[in-house]
Amino acid sequence: MNFIDLVRTANHNLLRNKTRTFLTILAIFIGSFTIILNTAINAGVNDFIDRQVESIGGDGYIEISPKALYDQMLNMTSGEVQEYEEDAKSIETSYLDDETLKKLESVDGVESLNAYQNLSTDYITSGYTDKKYKITLNLLPDDTIHVDMVAGRQVEANSDSYEIMLTEDYAEKLGFENNDAAVNKKVQLIIPVTLTCMTTEKRQDCQKTITATVTGVAADGVMSMGAGVRVNLALYNHLVDLQYDGLPESQKVAYMATGHIDPTKLDSIRKAFEEEGFTIITIDDEVGMIRTFFDAILIVFNIFGIIALLAAAIGIVNTLFMSVQERTREIGLMKAMGMSSSKIFASFSLEAILLGFWGSIFGIAVSVLIGSIANRIASETFLASFPTFSLTKFEPATMISITLIIMLIAFIAGTLPARRASKKDPIDALRYE
Amino acid sequence: MNTIIEAKNLSKTYGKKATAFQALKDINLKIYKGESVAIVGKSGSGKSTLMHLLALLDTPTKGKVIIGGEDSSTMSNRKLNKLRGNTFGFVFQQFFMNPNDSVLENILLPLKISKIKRSKRKNKAMEALKIVDLASKAKNKATDLSGGQKQRVCIARAIVNNPEIIFADEPTGNLDSSTGDKITDLLFELNRKKGVTLVIVTHDEDLAKLCGRIIRISDGKIISDSKVRKSTMKEAEKRHEKVAATVKARNERSKK
Repeated sequence: MNFIDLVRTANHNLLRNKTRTFLTILAIFIGSFTIILNTAINAGVNDFIDRQVESIGGDGYIEISPKALYDQMLNMTSGEVQEYEEDAKSIETSYLDDETLKKLESVDGVESLNAYQNLSTDYITSGYTDKKYKITLNLLPDDTIHVDMVAGRQVEANSDSYEIMLTEDYAEKLGFENNDAAVNKKVQLIIPVTLTCMTTEKRQDCQKTITATVTGVAADGVMSMGAGVRVNLALYNHLVDLQYDGLPESQKVAYMATGHIDPTKLDSIRKAFEEEGFTIITIDDEVGMIRTFFDAILIVFNIFGIIALLAAAIGIVNTLFMSVQERTREIGLMKAMGMSSSKIFASFSLEAILLGFWGSIFGIAVSVLIGSIANRIASETFLASFPTFSLTKFEPATMISITLIIMLIAFIAGTLPARRASKKDPIDALRYE
Repeated sequence: MNTIIEAKNLSKTYGKKATAFQALKDINLKIYKGESVAIVGKSGSGKSTLMHLLALLDTPTKGKVIIGGEDSSTMSNRKLNKLRGNTFGFVFQQFFMNPNDSVLENILLPLKISKIKRSKRKNKAMEALKIVDLASKAKNKATDLSGGQKQRVCIARAIVNNPEIIFADEPTGNLDSSTGDKITDLLFELNRKKGVTLVIVTHDEDLAKLCGRIIRISDGKIISDSKVRKSTMKEAEKRHEKVAATVKARNERSKK
C-alpha cells in the first residue's frame, strides 16, 4: 500500500466505529483544548506584559535611586524594624553629582545614565474643568521607549516645546470628551517654588503655573514603573529650573536616574552600584512578580491539560487494542495477501495519529471560538480599562506545534497496539474466531 | 513439466516438549505448473498445515519449501510478501470479507496491498467480478450477499492479481451442494482456461475426484499420491467438461 492508501484505509477504519472514534477524539479534545486555550491566554498575557516592558524601555532599562531611600520605601510597606548601620550611607550622601555619575557610567555594561532632579508638583488643571487634581510627573527620558497610546502620539523626548501625555483617567477627569479630544489641547501644571515657599505663608503665593500641550493619551498599564503622566525633557527641565530657582547649587543635585544597561551584566552592575549606595530597579523586578503569578496559574492548568492528554493517550491505546482484536482476521488476510508487517504497523499508527490530529484540530477550533468570545466579553468588562490587552492570543506556529506534539503523543500511544497487530501471525489471525 | 512448489523433508511441530504435537512428518512433494491438486485427509490429519506451509503462510519446523527454484527460508520479507500478493491467491472456507465494505472495496484490497496504480485498480476488480458473474453486485455491501455469492467474491479477490497458484481451503465447506458446484466449476475453469495451478484442501471426496491429482494425508504423513500423468492437461479438460455438464444438469434439474 502506498501512503495515500494507508491514510485512506486508516480514515476508513476509524469511521467504521464512529461512536468509539468520536469518544476517543473527545478525550483528546479535552486535553488539547485546555492546553491550547491556556497557551493562548499565556500568549495574551505575555504579549501585554511585553508591551508594558517595551513602554518602559525594553530589557535594558533601569531606574536608579539611593539605596537608603529605596530601603526606607520598602520599610514603609513592610513595616519591619531595621537595625541602624554605622557605615550606611544616608540619602543625603548618595546623590548623583557629576563625579558619582561618571563613576557609575564607567561601570562595565552601563550604556547610558540620565540623572534627574526630583520634581514635586502641586496639581494639574485644564480650561475644561474647575477641579484641580494632584499629579506626579514622570520624565520620558528618551525616544527608544515606546508607550502604548490610545490617542495621539507620545511626547518627543527632545522637542523644544513643552509636551505632556496624559493617562486615560486624567484625560477624563480634566474634562475632555474622549481621549481623542484631549490631543493638542493645553493643560496647566502648578508647581511650588521651593525657596519662595519657605518664606511665604500662603501656598498660592509661591506657586507657578506652566502651560503644556497634550500630545496624546497613554493606555493604562499594570506597572507602576515608568507609568503615569509623562513629560518631555524640555518641560521637565523647565519645571525643575523653576522649582529650584534661587537655591544654592548643592541643593540642586539629583538623586534619581534612569538608564540603559546590557541586561546580561546586570549582576555585576548591581553590585557596583550598591557599593556607591544606589539600588537598581529593573523591569524584571517589576514584571517578575506579575509573570510569576500568571505562570503559576497557567502551569496548574497546563498540568490539567497534560493529565487529560495522558488519559486520552490511554484511551487511544484502548481503542486501538479493541480495533486490533476485532480486526484480527482482517489483519491475517492482509498479511496473507502480502501486506508487510511494517505496513500493518503504519496503518494502525496512522489511525492513532489521525485520532490525535482530529482531537487537536477540534481543540484549536473550539478554543479559538471560545477565546474570541472571551476576548470580547473581557474587553467590555474587566479589561475595559486596558484596551491593548487581549486576553487570548492565538499564534499559528504555537497551534501547529501543539498539534504536532499531540500527534506525536498519539503515535507513541498507538505503537503498542500497532506493534501487536504487526506481530500477528497470519495463520493464527485467520484461525481466530 | 515445471515444478512450481517443492516441499523437502517438511516437518511442523506445535507446542513444546511435553505438549509437543507433530502435525507434519517429513513430507516430500512436488507440485507442477498447471496442475490441480487435492490434499485430502480427515480433520487433524495435517492437510491444512501442509497447505499453509506450501503457501508460505507459516514456517516449517524442519525442511524447506522451494518456490520457483528458490528456497523460501532465504527469501527476504519483501520477496515473500510479493509472492503472497502476486503469485498466490487464497480462497478460504470462511470468507474473511470486510462485511461493511462494498464488494468492490473487498476486491480492491489485494490491489492496494500490491501497489497497483489507482487508475488501473477498478478495471481489474471489475474484470475479476465479471469472471465470477457478480459485476452487478459491485456496489452491494458484502454482508448482503448469499453464501455462494460471498465465496464467488472471494474467488474474484483471489484472482484479481492474476495469480499463478490458487490455494483453496475447503472452498465449498460452508456451501450447499449446488452452490458448491458452481464454485468448483469456477475454480476448474480458471485452471483450464488460464492455466492457474490449483491446490485444494478438502475432505470432500467428490471434489477431490475432480482434481488431476489426489494426495492423501493421515497423521502428518502422505499415505498416497496419485502422481501426475503427462497428459494431465488434456485429461483435465475432459474432466472439467464433465464437471460443467454435471453442474448444468443439476441446475436444470433444480429449475424444474
